[in-house]
Amino acid sequence: MITKRPITYWIKHSNKKLQVILLAVIVVTVATRVLPLEMQKKIVNEAIGMRKLHLLYTYCGYYFAAVVLASALKYVINILQTYIGQQSLAQLRKELYAHILTLPLSYFRKANPGMVVSALVSEVAPTGELVGMSVAVSVTNLLTLIAFAVYLFYLNWILAALTMVLYPIIMLVVPRLQLRTNKANKARVDVTRDLSSSINEAITGIHEVHGNGSFGIENRKYGDFVDKLFRIRIVWILYKHGVKVLNNFFQNMGPFILFIVGGWLAIHGEFDLGALVAFLSANEKLYDPWKELMDFYQVYQDACTRYERVMEYFDVKPESVLEPEGREPYHLQGDIACKNLGFTVPGGIQLLKQVNLDLKHGEQLALVGFSGSGKSTLAQCISQLYAYTQGSVEICGNPVADMTKSDLAHNVAIVAQSPFIFDGTIRENLLYGCRAILPPDDPDYEKKLPSRDDLIAAVQQVGIFADILRFGMNAVLDTDGDKELTERIIRIRGNFQRDFGKNLADAVEFFEDNAYLQYSSVSGNLTFGHPLKKEFKPQNLPSNPFFREFLDQAQLTNSLLSLGRELASQTVDILGNLSLDEAFFRQSPIRIDEFNEYKDLVRRLGDDSLQKLDEKDRERLLRLGLRYTPGKHKMAALPAMMQNLILDSRALFMQRISETDPDAYSFYRSDKYIDSLSILENILFGRLKTESPKDQERIHQSLVQLLIEEDLLERVLEIGMEFQVGAKGDRLSGGQRQKLAIARAFLKNSPILIMDEATSALDNASQQRIQNILESKWKGRSTLIAVAHRLDTIKGYDKVAVMKAGKIIEMGSYGELMNKKGVLHELVHGADAGH
Amino acid sequence: MNSSTEPTQGISEYQDNLEAFREIPFFSGLPLEPLKVLAYLSERRRYNPGDVVFAKDDVDQNAYYLLEGSASLLVNGDEDAKLKVFKAGDFIGALSLVGDMKRLFSLKATEHLSVIVLSRELFQKTLEQFPDILYKFLEAVVDGVYDWEKRLLYKHAMACTACLPHLGVTLV
Repeated sequence: MITKRPITYWIKHSNKKLQVILLAVIVVTVATRVLPLEMQKKIVNEAIGMRKLHLLYTYCGYYFAAVVLASALKYVINILQTYIGQQSLAQLRKELYAHILTLPLSYFRKANPGMVVSALVSEVAPTGELVGMSVAVSVTNLLTLIAFAVYLFYLNWILAALTMVLYPIIMLVVPRLQLRTNKANKARVDVTRDLSSSINEAITGIHEVHGNGSFGIENRKYGDFVDKLFRIRIVWILYKHGVKVLNNFFQNMGPFILFIVGGWLAIHGEFDLGALVAFLSANEKLYDPWKELMDFYQVYQDACTRYERVMEYFDVKPESVLEPEGREPYHLQGDIACKNLGFTVPGGIQLLKQVNLDLKHGEQLALVGFSGSGKSTLAQCISQLYAYTQGSVEICGNPVADMTKSDLAHNVAIVAQSPFIFDGTIRENLLYGCRAILPPDDPDYEKKLPSRDDLIAAVQQVGIFADILRFGMNAVLDTDGDKELTERIIRIRGNFQRDFGKNLADAVEFFEDNAYLQYSSVSGNLTFGHPLKKEFKPQNLPSNPFFREFLDQAQLTNSLLSLGRELASQTVDILGNLSLDEAFFRQSPIRIDEFNEYKDLVRRLGDDSLQKLDEKDRERLLRLGLRYTPGKHKMAALPAMMQNLILDSRALFMQRISETDPDAYSFYRSDKYIDSLSILENILFGRLKTESPKDQERIHQSLVQLLIEEDLLERVLEIGMEFQVGAKGDRLSGGQRQKLAIARAFLKNSPILIMDEATSALDNASQQRIQNILESKWKGRSTLIAVAHRLDTIKGYDKVAVMKAGKIIEMGSYGELMNKKGVLHELVHGADAGH
Repeated sequence: MNSSTEPTQGISEYQDNLEAFREIPFFSGLPLEPLKVLAYLSERRRYNPGDVVFAKDDVDQNAYYLLEGSASLLVNGDEDAKLKVFKAGDFIGALSLVGDMKRLFSLKATEHLSVIVLSRELFQKTLEQFPDILYKFLEAVVDGVYDWEKRLLYKHAMACTACLPHLGVTLV
């Protein structure tokens, strides 16, 4: 297991080939470092001393070459060491992450994501640095030190011995200081962990913080940790620098001894000047390798401390193996047997006691009981999410405890209580379970995934078909000149007008040449078309000189500025003191990211006249005025007079733009596809007036028929499947997420299906629909264990088990149990039973 | 389009909504700041005669203020079992703003109906911004339930002896 590996494992298992190359480079480097010293001596004694110019040039040439080579090689060493270190770090990160993912669910109840993030991102980083440095720095500098030392002894052994005497003292003192540094460092890692827990908790529970106004409490909690961290970091950094300062001090003692002793010897003629110069600079050169060794020592200590802390934290054994060895994953039937099953959590609390169950393949079991009775726990023990502690669960005679994760994934599909939807498209989420059990290198990978028809069938079964179709309809297509598609959509447009135009007039505002469009923006009303050039895109209109001139001519500028001002001041008045939330901006012409800009503008503007505005602010207000859509932005009203003025200007705009720039717009015409609008708006040739689900439903029902006629239904559905669901699926409703999770499980086609309150967020009709599918399509095919949250759905199950305090207290068919007038009867009739 | 949903000349729909909210007992006691936000966030809907606003067993998370027209409250969607008729100025669904509840009745438009709709999602988002209004709102809900039961007890219940054992919703 990765957490048991010592830090040296990563040094031993780093890139061997590169390490050997590195060693070779190092040996050459050390040689190029000693050479200049010898040259120094020769330059002083032989060239300058003997006044020989040609020798001076030759030696200086050697000196120069050696220095250039040493620098170049140093750079090569740096590259190699970085590469080796980062490679090991990447490996460490991957393996540690893979390990963390396999840890049991119970582990994550206490672990917090913040800690996992800081461990993987920052705490392991020094290990990579250490691996890179391990060979490069230690060998280079040790060799350099030895080479210099040997050279010094060769020059003068007494002086050499005198300068060397300092090093043992350093080596004695520094580790003691380092020990204290390590202690502080360990404490720092721990407090950082607590700090990240505290941040994580506050952010996760931010709604409670806002709800209770407990900002002070949370700030104090956080503040305490920050203060603690502050104190520990100060101590840590003081010790760290203490080591450096001490080291520096001893280093600088070297020249002092040299001058005193070497100077005395030179004055007495027992030592030549060249040797003294060489000696001085050799001694100075000792400084760098020694400092690097000390740095290395500190990195080593730091990395070890952090590494050990991280590994201790994740040192938990996964409950089961991921992949089976020496065999394919099982493909089993759905026979499930629980024998005296028990689950005890630390503290001796028994969540499950003596549970006995026997399900044949294809049978359906409903688990009922009050919350806390162990229903979900039983389902989770059967699906290996929790490792049971007593008795056994067997699938076709194979104990679940001995099966690998992969065995379970191949045979069990789970819909969790609060299913998680991942960032990506609907399609990716539907295929998540199927992709997981396919090896990524399978040559038939795509073929083995469910087909388009399977996907469509699944989304139909769970009742999310209409939603996905709606996503597809709302997509703005990149038609890319696909004439055939756009022609079909325009044909549908015609048919829609003919068949439903009248009926739906109260829900759709059609694009009409001579009517003011309440559900289009002011700029849309003016231009009545889709811009083909960048400078005419709605966001660029306020600064477009042609457009501005047109506004002036149409006498709209001032009214639009006042409208913009009204919109801005009303919005700021309503929302000014709230914390920003996307939901508050759905009906505002100001986007959430622009709000502060407008808040500032409103404050600056005060009651001043609009005439005083500078150009930037004018553009800002015009932007709002042009964006204003009466049907959507309810905080301001559009005076009828202005509405007429805009309508009159529409013709003027069309005329002017066709004169000056005929290719700038494609005007709305009932026989042309409009690229900037969604498929729906293209078919409607207008905009929806309402958000009401009922009206939308009505429109979509009428559209489905038309789409089928043009053979476009599946195409649009496929476009809808590419809808991006957002992080955690937050662009979907709770019900949609649950339906998607059920479809995801259905698509796996597993012999065992476990549904843990899988329909709790759905309305009656959807629940019933899924119940019907389970009874008609899955009975006999897959064994189903459903944790039921409502009792009116359980009649069709083969067996019902009533749970109380971790035990099954009643089991049988619905009819049997109701006839018995036992606990189920009481649950179903509730308090009414007494009357 | 029906005149009530058209922005009235000069007065915006938001201002109109704000006036309406100040008339609703559940909201009238709240400070102006949150009322503004609620008025801004709510939307208008219109129904034709015969349209269902919500049906029995729907988990409907909206509250409604009737601006115009009328709607009848039905048991089982059955026209004959009409319980009562709601008219302009009536407010329905304060409890739906607080918690999930399946509708026990259906509401059907009897004339062209125009309503202000406030959804629980947006109501709760507003609550998050003004936490102290929750208490005032709940107090108004309690008052509403109390008045209801009091009326039932003193005015009507004596006429129906079979109903008496089921009284006492205020003791919940």
